[in-house]
Amino acid sequence: MERTAISPAKIKLKGEDFTRLTGEWMTPRRRFLSALYGGRVDKVPAMTLSSVVTLEAMEITDAWFPEAHLDAEKMARLAGTAYEELGLDTIMPVFHSQLEADALDAATWWGTVDNWPATSDHVLTDPEDFKIPSDYLKRPSFEAALGAIRLLRKRYPDVGIVGKVYGPWSVGYHLVGIENYLMDTILDPDKIRRYLEVMLPACMMSAHAQLEAGADAIMWADHANRELVSPETYRDFLLEMHKEVTVEIGGPSIFHCCGETTDRIDYFAEAGWDCFHFESQVDPYVAKEITGDRMSLMGNINNPTTLFSGTYDDTYDACMKVLEAGVNGIAPEGSVPLGTKMEVLRALSDSARDYSDIHRPDGRLIVHDPPSNGNVA
Amino acid sequence: MPELSDIANQYIREEIEEFLERPEEIERNIALFSRTSPLMQEIAAALIDGDMVTVDQLTEKALEDGVGAFEIMDDGLIAGMGIVGIKFREGYVFVPEVLISARAMKAGMAHIEPILAASGVEPIGTVIMGTVQGDLHDIGKNLCIMLLRGGGFSVIDLGVNTPPAQFIEAVREHGAHIIGMSALLTTTMPNMAKTVEAFKDVGLREAVRFMVGGAPVTPEFGKDVGADGYGKDALACVELAKKLAVEVS
Repeated sequence: MERTAISPAKIKLKGEDFTRLTGEWMTPRRRFLSALYGGRVDKVPAMTLSSVVTLEAMEITDAWFPEAHLDAEKMARLAGTAYEELGLDTIMPVFHSQLEADALDAATWWGTVDNWPATSDHVLTDPEDFKIPSDYLKRPSFEAALGAIRLLRKRYPDVGIVGKVYGPWSVGYHLVGIENYLMDTILDPDKIRRYLEVMLPACMMSAHAQLEAGADAIMWADHANRELVSPETYRDFLLEMHKEVTVEIGGPSIFHCCGETTDRIDYFAEAGWDCFHFESQVDPYVAKEITGDRMSLMGNINNPTTLFSGTYDDTYDACMKVLEAGVNGIAPEGSVPLGTKMEVLRALSDSARDYSDIHRPDGRLIVHDPPSNGNVA
Repeated sequence: MPELSDIANQYIREEIEEFLERPEEIERNIALFSRTSPLMQEIAAALIDGDMVTVDQLTEKALEDGVGAFEIMDDGLIAGMGIVGIKFREGYVFVPEVLISARAMKAGMAHIEPILAASGVEPIGTVIMGTVQGDLHDIGKNLCIMLLRGGGFSVIDLGVNTPPAQFIEAVREHGAHIIGMSALLTTTMPNMAKTVEAFKDVGLREAVRFMVGGAPVTPEFGKDVGADGYGKDALACVELAKKLAVEVS
């Protein structure tokens, strides 16, 4: 299959020059945001809404795990490869899932060069013991993440920067321990409601700080997955809270929940999320039918089988199938394994570009017509 | 052929009637529970209901009454967990309910295990279980271990974040032939392949059988990483282990 000789990202164009010289009438940032809100785009965005860091990317940037998790410059350099090397429309600097939990005193194992960080011990047994430290946003995990977002905003004014927040349900897994937390959803549901109540402000602080630092949107993860809990558990514990979050968050919101979520997508839309970042177990046609225009859909590209084990062509074909379903953007379903090949990941942006090419009626590089007044992004 | 009405315990009857759909499973469970004593049915019902205290008390009582440890384990605890497993597979219950039932089973097994250990009965086989390197999730693995032990296996639990070398060391130390690897994260699933490769490197691959499982793991991925079988849930894990035990015996 013919591939891009050079990624448009390599041209390093900005603003008006970008749109004039690439023939694209939207910058990646505007394309991403427009698609997120379900609006028109010049081509369907290919994005990262999780981590696309690979060992190759670490080598290219000389920014390695685990140092890159706690060093703003290294984090920014490494995250920038999403645009620089892969030609994606977004960059997401927070690779791991420890941002809030670590700053809330969870014991964190920061991993190794080829292993991800994780919470190694749980510290909370009573919601009344929970406190947000006075220096919460100054803790090392936040210093690095917020610093990286500021750097990226400065370096890539025309690329979408995505912040990441773990919501109170997922932070609860880290702080309380997943088994005890899940059992208490049945044995002591009021305790779980109290956990959610006390932890929510910490998650909102994280979201606001990342938006203030320059993130264009927040990817909010609360893992009320089908593999773990029923759709009614999401409805009963999180739906009303998420309705508040989507109003108060203060920026575009992308919700992430792992796994096969078909039975609860309707609730996610009801919560008011602008977009749902969904996994490959969900049939994109069915998801589209459920959500209609209430919420945009992004993601859906399988990690283990397609991106990690598959070839460039496998990925390209998989992306085309998802694009055909009418999603608002394609992206890996979650953080890709570190051994994933960058060459394979490039199929994301290539397929999105070619899909747009295939569908334009007159050979011009557009999917939908540009604004009638002729303005460009 | 036994009928549903032959089961004394109403709770068990309702569970079978309401939640079991596959004819062979209905038949098997009716046959099983209709031959078990009311006390075993009570233990199974309490376990399905997640009532740890009652399972604990009834198990103790059964032993005091002279009921054999194997009978309590098979006809009470495992029989009850079998129903829970089916309900989980069919989406009637989710992980919280399974964890609560597993906690109840553990309370019963705490009385049973010392007796089984002292009985000198040979296990079906030894299984090395671990969550792969980089992954600290162990709910699924722990459920598998509980049912494997209940199913007659000796299980060595390597815990979480298990490097390939630790699997190899455990196989050598315990003379095991079956390895179960679990992963919850798509980022750590590739470490299953690394573990299989490490066994090839030390010349042990042919001597062992690998089972894989975990929420994002699929049968296809299992084949890709060179595993010998995939288990969708804890019940399937036990069935797979039994099959693999025959292969390596």
